[in-house]
Amino acid sequence: MTVTIRIDPTRCRGHAICTLFFADGIELDQWGFGQILARDIDAPRDVRRARRAAAACPNRALVVTTSAAVPLPTARGR
Amino acid sequence: MTVLAGPVPVADPGAAGTSPLPEEFGRTSRPASVGGLGAVGTHLLAGPAPGRGEHLGGHAARWGPLPGLDGTQIRALLRSSGLDGRGGGGFPLIRKVESARLAVGDPLVVVNASESEPASRKDRTLCSDRPHLVLDGAALLARAVGVEEVVVHFHRGAISSIRAMEAALADRLRGSIADPRWRISAGPDRYVSGESSAVASFVGGGEARPHFTTVPLAVRGPSGGPTVVSNVETVAHLAAIARTGSDAWAARGAVTSPGPRLVTVTGMVGDPGQVLELTGVCTVGDILWAAGVATAPGAVLLGGFAGTWVRGDTAWPVPFTRDGLRHVGAQPGCGLVGVLPGDACVLAETARIIGYLAGESAGQCGTCVAGLPTLAAGWEALASGGLSRRGLRRLRQLADTVDGSGACGHPDAVVRLARSALDVFGDDVGDHLAGRPCGGAGRAPTLPVPATHRAAGHDDPGAWR
Repeated sequence: MTVTIRIDPTRCRGHAICTLFFADGIELDQWGFGQILARDIDAPRDVRRARRAAAACPNRALVVTTSAAVPLPTARGR
Repeated sequence: MTVLAGPVPVADPGAAGTSPLPEEFGRTSRPASVGGLGAVGTHLLAGPAPGRGEHLGGHAARWGPLPGLDGTQIRALLRSSGLDGRGGGGFPLIRKVESARLAVGDPLVVVNASESEPASRKDRTLCSDRPHLVLDGAALLARAVGVEEVVVHFHRGAISSIRAMEAALADRLRGSIADPRWRISAGPDRYVSGESSAVASFVGGGEARPHFTTVPLAVRGPSGGPTVVSNVETVAHLAAIARTGSDAWAARGAVTSPGPRLVTVTGMVGDPGQVLELTGVCTVGDILWAAGVATAPGAVLLGGFAGTWVRGDTAWPVPFTRDGLRHVGAQPGCGLVGVLPGDACVLAETARIIGYLAGESAGQCGTCVAGLPTLAAGWEALASGGLSRRGLRRLRQLADTVDGSGACGHPDAVVRLARSALDVFGDDVGDHLAGRPCGGAGRAPTLPVPATHRAAGHDDPGAWR
């Protein structure tokens, strides 16, 4: 399953714990804030790592979404 | 035919349709027909002179009553007209409307009258001089989305605009128009507080700071429901479209940039801050000509402080449309045209703007907290002739790091401006690096860059409500 990972830059405070869990997918910029290397991930091992990294962020800055997490359009007459 | 009509007609309105200008003027100028107000009822700014305000009676006499269209009909008009956002992003309004209708939750409709771009005047001109056109458009937008309430959001400091809008609302109540419920909202005066997600956040009870979102505002905004944030000029166009039909409206622009467009001309012109309306495909030269600039200036800033520098002679023949401007790396943005004379220093002007924008960030993301001040300091050094070649390389690398790394487009805009200055005025950059800042670096600023709000308590949480 493909997931999308993003860092909420308004929440990232540079704890860098995410890079311990997912060093291949996240690097730190010159000030120590996380930067995503590839936004879409489909290798199961990388998806696992991304989820662990997201769970480990003390500030909940790393967001992992699947396509199902996006609100689906509903037929709604107005 | 190109027609330029402004609130301060540059030619006698009686001479409309004839060209009062010489057929040719210099190498760079193009023949331009500068007319009066054009066909009645088809231009947003047609009507009373600027600064006089407008009552509902006069508005209704010129435009006719607000058509009793239903949501389906309004959406069809939005679709066929191709009305794009005029706040800077240029996003088609119909797509926001359709997203909001399909999304989960109760939609919120906000008309964004912030006009954060310091030199832009078009939105406050509409609010003060044509408030009923704005409110008509907002009422139509509410019907298109299917909501009962519309929020009109201002910067708190825009007192005259707010008063004009409140007077217009009182006027409409007396006129018993089938309007939605209106709510006037006034938020912090800061630059980023006018960004659409910041506006949506403030209107929803939060802080007027940009939000990090993984889904568009029109799908799910900070308040939980879909939020349609639309610029003042955009909704005013909707009011016009509902009267004239989408074809007649769209024909006043280009195929890829349909409809008329308001621009603000500032900098080295006779009347800085004047608002002109483009109806038909106008070149940058046509705009400058109408503003009293007879030959190509040294440089023009196109699209706003969050815009792009272009050489004056390069820009002159370029149509002020999405496609035309793309060829010179620019966008219509908020419609700003900043004029810089040949002896002014683009790098010094850019450094001032970057300093302002860096100080106006919301201080939320690392890139704005750490990156922009460093970038601004580097530009300060470049402008004064104190930057080394190595320093310039670092400045370029810094721009690459900053680009695209924030929650909103604020850092990206700063980078775009900086890059365009370096790319287009490379010769000047060489001189500055060699410790020979041009003569213009020391002169008074040409573009009106205000003081930043940073001194007023950047980290005070209360400052964002």
